[in-house]
Amino acid sequence: MVEADFPECTSFGSVIRFALELEKVSAAVYDELAEKQCLASAHDAFKALSAAHRKRSDILEHTRREKLNEMILEPIQDLDSSVYVLDAKVPEPIDIVGAKAFASKMEDLSSKFYSESSKIAKMLMAEAARILDKMGKENEANKAKLEAL
Amino acid sequence: MALLPEVKKDYGRIKNYVNGEWVESTSSKDMDIENPTTGGIIGKVPMSTADETKAAIDAAQDAWEAWRETPPITRARIFFKLKELMEQNYEETARIMVQEQGKTIDEARGETRRSIENVEVAAGIPSMMMGYNLEDGAAQGIDEDAITSPLGVFGCIAPFNFPAMIPYWFWPYAVATGNCYIIKSSSQVPLTQWSLFSMIDKAGFPPGVINLVNGSREVSDTMMDHPDMKGISFVGSTPVAKYIYKKCGENGKRVQAQGGAKNSLVVMPDANLPRTISNMLASFYGCAGQRCLAGSNLVAIGDIADPLIEKFVETSKKIKMGYGLDESVNMGPVVSAKAKKKVLDYIDGAEAEGAKLLIDGRGAKVPGYEKGHFVGPTVVDGVTPDMKIAKEEIFGPVVSYLRMDTLDDAIEFIHKSPFGNAASIYTQSGKDARDFRYKVQCGNIGINIGIVAAMAYFPFAGYKDSFFGDLHGQGRDAISFFTDRKVVITRWF
Repeated sequence: MVEADFPECTSFGSVIRFALELEKVSAAVYDELAEKQCLASAHDAFKALSAAHRKRSDILEHTRREKLNEMILEPIQDLDSSVYVLDAKVPEPIDIVGAKAFASKMEDLSSKFYSESSKIAKMLMAEAARILDKMGKENEANKAKLEAL
Repeated sequence: MALLPEVKKDYGRIKNYVNGEWVESTSSKDMDIENPTTGGIIGKVPMSTADETKAAIDAAQDAWEAWRETPPITRARIFFKLKELMEQNYEETARIMVQEQGKTIDEARGETRRSIENVEVAAGIPSMMMGYNLEDGAAQGIDEDAITSPLGVFGCIAPFNFPAMIPYWFWPYAVATGNCYIIKSSSQVPLTQWSLFSMIDKAGFPPGVINLVNGSREVSDTMMDHPDMKGISFVGSTPVAKYIYKKCGENGKRVQAQGGAKNSLVVMPDANLPRTISNMLASFYGCAGQRCLAGSNLVAIGDIADPLIEKFVETSKKIKMGYGLDESVNMGPVVSAKAKKKVLDYIDGAEAEGAKLLIDGRGAKVPGYEKGHFVGPTVVDGVTPDMKIAKEEIFGPVVSYLRMDTLDDAIEFIHKSPFGNAASIYTQSGKDARDFRYKVQCGNIGINIGIVAAMAYFPFAGYKDSFFGDLHGQGRDAISFFTDRKVVITRWF
């Protein structure tokens, strides 16, 4: 199981760190699901989802570097991130129905985090907000992909 | 959450960078480099001697002719390489800065980005330093050209509050225009520049073009007295800025000396309160109030005073203090025990003058960092314009709250300050905003922005006792400061 360290979201940097942890956990969960013999039929789909989450980490790193502007570096006080902490432990045993449900719940939680953090980021950095918003929508799309498996 | 890793626990005794080489100072005097959060010693900085400073100036002077003759586009290419190296080492630069200065990782990342932006702008030097000409400009058949030329060796004397960025307001423009350069970094925070010089070393600048001399006043005075130094850029306190301006003037050097500040943030009754407060928190408490653009006086106009202060105090109490390598921390310590004492003395003084402490940051403690120089957010109500706390630069996370009847009262109050670095207004009225920007005599005006930090392509400096000189840092002003115009009138028989 992947180690994750979700911070309290009180600053722009900690919001991005939280998001990076979400992506790390999501990618690791999909990798783990892809390796299970009992889920072989969904191997490629899980691998693709894992790769997509890793790519999002790069986008988040880029966002932190390029969008961070000291002038609008305001404290964030209204985001209770504790409710968005992901469970990285894949239940055992698991079948395809259970895997889809587990992954879908994970995507749903991420989507809610991105939706909420995007609203807060909008007041600070519109460009960053757009990226967070897009990620939330991608989580929703991932749920649809899981449903189709 | 877990701290981001420190780059190193101990950086040892740092070296100077002279004539393209790392050089151990022969000085017998060293200063400890303290981590202001932990109180631990993380390195030593030598107090370089006058002879070592002269050697750096000689190296720069020797390098100048060839560097001046290097085509601007070739010079620019080295800046592109430097930008690439700075991007590669972005996170490491920011973390070193947190270790030695105490700011938060987001603040340090923002500062690193601003340093890179100055390199990016300087890389456009072939276009920016072009002169101009006019056919038949002098008379029929006689053309006139204005050429922009570099002057020789320049230097900067840097402060502690922005260890990376402030030398980058100057040196990229100086070197890109064909000058050579000496940086004297702050002896309190020399590690960030030292680290950036490891990138400069790899970027491909010819030896002697850009040099680093660590130390204190002996280095600064040698730079200001040396006949080969063409100019000095300085950022620090007003008394030192005045001294540097005078000394450079006496020695016939160009000078841009940025001094202290006392910035007022004026909140009009029609201001968007939640957005205003959020933005002001960053201004008053960002970098623990140690920005020259930090808010210091909070001036409420009319009947917004009570709801504003109630909400401002409530949100100020939520500011999370700690080690800046914890990404959830909003505010780190001030830079030293001496800086902390100065801030506490101002708070004591305000109390003695009859002001009321709504939040008292004097006893701030951060578990695990008992030796850190923390001052908590402090809000002082009942401040009047004649109180010391309303007039003098504090350089800490202290908010002096003043209540006034009209915008004109606030503008008059700002006019009376000897400082003129920055002032901001929070309003939804275009007319009030226009009046403010028109009337207020400060170098940086914020409209619904509390940290009026000019981007690399705009000039930065204050007015009045906040700046001594004429050409500001960064942007086009920097090009003018580091070059001179030569007029050529040509007639062919």
